[in-house]
Amino acid sequence: MPDDDVAFLPATRLAALVREKQLSPVELTRVYLDRIQRLDGRLRAYITLCEDAALDAARRAEALVMRGSRLGPLHGVPFAVKDQFDTAGIRTTMGSRLFEKHVPTGDATVVSRLVGAGGILLGKLNLTEFALGGTIDYPFGQPRNPWNTEHETGGSSSGSGIAAAAGLCGAALGEDTGGSVRSPASWCGVVGLRPTWGRVSRHGSFPLCWSMDTPGPVTRTVADTALLLQVIAGHDPSDPLSSARDVPDYVASLGAGVRGVRIGVIRELVQSPDTEVDVRSGVTAAVGALADLGAVVEEISLPLIRQAGAIFMAICDSEGAGLHHRWLSTRAAEYDPGTRRRLLAASLLPATAYHEATRARALLRRRMLEALDRYDLLACPTAHEAAPPIATSKAAIVSREDAAGRFFTRRSFTSPASLAGIPAIAVPCGVTGGGLPLSLQILGRAFDEVTVLRAAHAYEERTSWPRRPPGLG
Amino acid sequence: MKDLTRAEVEALAAAVDLRMTADDLVEVTHRLNAFLEALRPLAALPLDAVEPVPTSPARSAAAE
Repeated sequence: MPDDDVAFLPATRLAALVREKQLSPVELTRVYLDRIQRLDGRLRAYITLCEDAALDAARRAEALVMRGSRLGPLHGVPFAVKDQFDTAGIRTTMGSRLFEKHVPTGDATVVSRLVGAGGILLGKLNLTEFALGGTIDYPFGQPRNPWNTEHETGGSSSGSGIAAAAGLCGAALGEDTGGSVRSPASWCGVVGLRPTWGRVSRHGSFPLCWSMDTPGPVTRTVADTALLLQVIAGHDPSDPLSSARDVPDYVASLGAGVRGVRIGVIRELVQSPDTEVDVRSGVTAAVGALADLGAVVEEISLPLIRQAGAIFMAICDSEGAGLHHRWLSTRAAEYDPGTRRRLLAASLLPATAYHEATRARALLRRRMLEALDRYDLLACPTAHEAAPPIATSKAAIVSREDAAGRFFTRRSFTSPASLAGIPAIAVPCGVTGGGLPLSLQILGRAFDEVTVLRAAHAYEERTSWPRRPPGLG
Repeated sequence: MKDLTRAEVEALAAAVDLRMTADDLVEVTHRLNAFLEALRPLAALPLDAVEPVPTSPARSAAAE
């Protein structure tokens, strides 16, 4: 098989080939390093590449295979993580000039779990500054969408979306506060899961909003996402708010199908005037496919969801402004202008507005959990539009209306799951006439990632959307 | 409600020890006015009996 084809194999397949001694971890690592060398000068998925360390780890992995040692589920599979997760001895920038030379002394729990499962850390992935979104001048290079490099990747886990989509790693890890895993997965045409808040340890992940931050996989298939979740989920004493619930077998239950599963399709997000026609028809066809597979699909109404973007930003941005206040007052010029202006505006919000938003959040969560009493899953678009041109995101904000249009609408699609603390997955559901990926979002009950993954897998198996961006080998 | 002016935004920022460039001030004023406008509908929600639970329901699971 040509190297470029190997690069796009699912991580589950790569792990199986390594176990069966049909694929050398060293050769596989070289395949990805070669592709990164060829393609990443333009795509800018990586901030830091761990070339020597990755090859050393691959040689050790190969020796264990040849020795017949017991192997972890990711043994020999090269992966990469968003540069928001601490990595011992490897610089961790948060995508910011303020942390350009920051080298942590320990690994984030998710990183140590992936390495412990046999994964090989290839490098650290690009992101919007401090995972906040809205970066104008990326300190480590402009991330570009592999499907069309003049278009946005989505954020904040931009590099995670690129690396998974462009075959620059076996699997990637991102972090999702208000959609930072699902948004790049959506626009880059890959799978991204926001797990239930508390399902995965946040230890060693630079915070943005404590009550919503969660690491999550970004991969080429739903099965890969299930595999990564299996590895990273579970209680961590270093994150006291991580759940002590048992971790189910996500991989084993993938093939159970959706017959009889009740799915509520959120009218306000599918039929919103802001939702592009291609997005609406892609998602409508996708839920139709789930109905064909035996799911019971009905439309539901959640009017308060229209306010989710504003509620989310009032909470997230206020917490971010508090976190950054000291640096903002002493090192403001080192921030990207987009990040700085977002944090400055949030710094001036009245405390009463924040407080009201926390109560509105509780009400929205109640409405969503009530809907999930009646339905096993909820469905909607992951984003209201396909990836927009990079140039439009960089234009100056010229009015209050311009600011409102840019910030609140799009966040009403991914932030509801964040506000409710429930799992949500983005799964590709077609391409636009212009060849850009579309994405279906499936939300589930807290800690019921099993049903979310089952439905996403059933849909993925049913369809054959193009998975490989054109022109990338 | 009337939009905040640039001078008002600048004064608010100074009160919390934050300084802005002229370009920042223009954009932050637009952003803050948009923010306040977007949050206005929340005042009409039936929030009187809603407790502002600071974390998600997952928190209770953490104590298990």
